[in-house]
Amino acid sequence: MDTLRRMSLLFVFVLTVILLAGSSYAIPAFSRQYGTSCTTCHIDFPKLNDFGKAFKDAGFKFPKDDETFIKVPPVMLGAPAQKDLWPHTVFPGTIPGLPQIGLRFNQFFQYTSGNANNYNIAGQSTGPYIPRTDFQPGYFSIFTAGNFGSDIAFWVDDDISVSGANANGELGDAYLRFVNVSRFFKLPTDSLTLKVGQFELDLPFTQARAYDISPYDIYTQANIGAVNPAYPQQFVNNSFTLAGPGRGIELSGGHHYGGYRYAIAVVDQDTSGTAPSTYPNVPSGASDGGVGYFSDSNFKDLYGRFAYRFNLERDPTSRHEVQAAGATGPRDHTYLTLGSYYFYGRSVQRAAGLLPDGTTPTVLLAREPFYRVGGDFDFNYRTFNIFGLYMYGHDHDIVPFIPSGLTLPTGFITGSPATFSGGFIQADYMVYPWMMMIMRWDRVQSRADFLNEAGSTNFFSPAGSTRNRFTPGAQFLIHANIKASFEYAYRPQQALTYNLNGQPMNVFRTNTATGALEFVY
Amino acid sequence: MKHDLVVKHSLALAALVMMVVATSQAGTISGKVSGVSGESAVYVEVAAGKTFPASTQQPVIDQKGLMFQPHITVVQQGTTVEFLNSDSVAHNVFWPSVGGNKKLTHNLGTWPKGDKRPFKFDNPGAVPLLCNVHPEMSGYVIVSPTPYFALTDKSGEYKIENVPDGSYTVTAWHEGAKSQSKPVAVAGDTKADFTLSK
Repeated sequence: MDTLRRMSLLFVFVLTVILLAGSSYAIPAFSRQYGTSCTTCHIDFPKLNDFGKAFKDAGFKFPKDDETFIKVPPVMLGAPAQKDLWPHTVFPGTIPGLPQIGLRFNQFFQYTSGNANNYNIAGQSTGPYIPRTDFQPGYFSIFTAGNFGSDIAFWVDDDISVSGANANGELGDAYLRFVNVSRFFKLPTDSLTLKVGQFELDLPFTQARAYDISPYDIYTQANIGAVNPAYPQQFVNNSFTLAGPGRGIELSGGHHYGGYRYAIAVVDQDTSGTAPSTYPNVPSGASDGGVGYFSDSNFKDLYGRFAYRFNLERDPTSRHEVQAAGATGPRDHTYLTLGSYYFYGRSVQRAAGLLPDGTTPTVLLAREPFYRVGGDFDFNYRTFNIFGLYMYGHDHDIVPFIPSGLTLPTGFITGSPATFSGGFIQADYMVYPWMMMIMRWDRVQSRADFLNEAGSTNFFSPAGSTRNRFTPGAQFLIHANIKASFEYAYRPQQALTYNLNGQPMNVFRTNTATGALEFVY
Repeated sequence: MKHDLVVKHSLALAALVMMVVATSQAGTISGKVSGVSGESAVYVEVAAGKTFPASTQQPVIDQKGLMFQPHITVVQQGTTVEFLNSDSVAHNVFWPSVGGNKKLTHNLGTWPKGDKRPFKFDNPGAVPLLCNVHPEMSGYVIVSPTPYFALTDKSGEYKIENVPDGSYTVTAWHEGAKSQSKPVAVAGDTKADFTLSK
């Protein structure tokens, strides 16, 4: 029932502002360093414009003649001429002349349909009470990023407090990035870059630095197998989500502002279940989901992505520049990006079991291969941007096998895979340089989720649809570093009771309206 | 021989007379702009019935290091200014108004590094220069209706030379401050101080 409860709460928690908060960043330290506005790199922070993408690709530097733009000179860690003495001296580098530290805070106000508390049913599992209106502090975060010279970039961000509690924060990304390593191998410029540390995978559309209030549902989709006893059960408890950070290395190349772009990452497998326990889970009956583990160090998960961006200007010169030469000034390109991605990993679970002799206790280890695969597109025309992503998730199911006469399994047999699919489409339109209108559609379809929720007796959604919402929104830049955001999540109908014909009764929606104020400095 | 001497004396006398006349007709306006810090522009407004030769100067305003350089350029009405991009990033130059007249807004577009784009300023007044991709960038062209103008030094001192004697209106302009105009009767060296406020 833990899984049931977990899934029930998942749907309830979706309503709370804590999880609605994205983890977005803009880097005001760069504004200080270069004496330029946030809008040099951002359309509507943290959404990057083409110049911002080029700045990031270059390792947090201006793509050309970076030193001529820096208003605060860097501190030399060795004279440049020291390079000639290497390896008999430490290779000279630089550190930024100012501490590259930025801070960010956001707060929320949410209006939730009273229907949200329909989940709380007397005598059954009770979720947290959700107030109709609620003020919530969001994230207070610190982040630092920059370049150490020699094309070595760095990034660290950490949430100091979340929702007013100072112990809930966590490290976001923290890595060193060795830009343009390709020059050492006489490969084309920027064709090979190495990133080492903890980082968000090179997703088609970032979640860690997303600008929407609520996250993309498909990015937060874990794959929990069906545990409803009324249906064939699965032994899948994979809490991996694509939005989670990976720890490892990434090789990448190309540019985000035009042409090809690829990334290959090798990261720790991280398919932790709810709370990894020192005690293996004891299956009851055929299975009950088991307990995942943080890391199986003998295997690294793999992620790969390839995308190509077609800049569509007729003028070839303009087409290949960082920004297009518009009649009234430089602007983002008109472009179409097509991409695909693939993640392969192994979900690790343990179960208390017996050796084949049927008497000697042991710990059975199940490594369940899984993959996430999908495609994406991104089209931009002047101030209109539409993009979308599709994902298919597949987890191999290895079910503990309990021979007759025994109470613990002695091995595994192959079950039916746990799968899900979904994605999102979002359209952004900049009405003014300070006003962005958003329309988004999220969908996650998981048979296991549906069965689990139906079995929990406190959730119902139309068959074949487990999460499906339209989310119109608007964002306003009060200043380049202060933003007000609004979002209305229009969710599918649900019901708690059924009539004799099995039809849902008293259907309702748990829609939410959320406003956010955010500033960085 | 005697005839040559007479000619020489006559020429010398004529030159002397011309110098005296010229000196008596061309004065200097000098003074200080206070109440603000940094450079200000001071120029002589157009006087009725007086015309001035067209400017031959062609100043260059550079976009370098995400800045307009120089920050303030004073030109005579009718002057063509060349806008240069010395940065390796794309820039733009536009102005929302000329002398407060928003109908005179203009956008020069964008051009590559090293290229220039000319524009002839036919209307007097302050022209705030902006770049629509780097909103922090700011510069000014002050279009003077006469060739008599000056840019103060950082302490506010200025000097406008070769102003024909007469009565004029002189205007002082400073970024972000209210411009101030005052009548000035030019006769030789003339003082005109201004106190501006925001």
